[in-house]
Amino acid sequence: MRILIVDDSAMMRAMIKRVVALADVPVDEILEAANGVEALAILESHDVQWLLTDINMPVMNGADLLREIARHDKWRGLGKVIISTDGSTTRRAEAAALDVYRYLEKPFSPEVLRDVLTEVVGAGRS
Amino acid sequence: MCSLKLSELVGPEATDVLRGAIADVAEQSFFMAADPCADDRLRDLASESDAWLAATVRFEEAGCAGVVSCLLPDTLARALFDAFNGRDPLDAPPASDEVFDLVGEFANMVCGAWLTRTVNGPAFVLSPPVVQASARDAALDASASARVVVSLNDLPLVVVARA
Repeated sequence: MRILIVDDSAMMRAMIKRVVALADVPVDEILEAANGVEALAILESHDVQWLLTDINMPVMNGADLLREIARHDKWRGLGKVIISTDGSTTRRAEAAALDVYRYLEKPFSPEVLRDVLTEVVGAGRS
Repeated sequence: MCSLKLSELVGPEATDVLRGAIADVAEQSFFMAADPCADDRLRDLASESDAWLAATVRFEEAGCAGVVSCLLPDTLARALFDAFNGRDPLDAPPASDEVFDLVGEFANMVCGAWLTRTVNGPAFVLSPPVVQASARDAALDASASARVVVSLNDLPLVVVARA
């Protein structure tokens, strides 16, 4: 399984990577992007199964990234998780319409993220 | 039309919401308790730190805008970094840009948590955090629509919100 983490904070990306390692989930590779444009370039060149993305980012934000992904059939099977400080009902409804699997609101404890990752891996196996 | 009313940013209720957002961020992601800190204690704690940082996030929500700023000594910034990353004190200290990134993310989380609880409906846009060195007096003299002072591990944190 290959995961792509999209967040403009390198520290947040590092934290998520650390939780993935501690969660002991069978992930083959973790890729990183600092914004939606970088994420799309990685998706074009790699077979990614799960996307964990922030919303508020420079260059291209997470909402625009998800809308772009939704426009392409080739990414129809991509699992999507939002990890964002924006917990507004509008944003959550928007995410649901874009087939987002889970919406994780910052702040969160590492244990909550670990549980989401475990669930994600389980969903990937089914 | 802006759904964020100035009245929601002024007064005890707004300050309580901001305090709650700070406490949740500190506890959930940084494993620190946010203790109330009166201005007298702020001045005592602040006197122990010469180097300060200011992390500012600008928000826009349905046509209105404002900022949330976190003002903190460099010692707290590095303590937050260690807590978030589980850094061993014996490891090499983090680079300044890493500390700035982390403090920016802290401010981002505080602003987002506060807005989610304050407007709870419309989506909002947060600018990338701007983190820079700051004078200690900027923290001591900061005034705003909402202002909260707490201590984290006996280190002071001032958070101000302006619409």
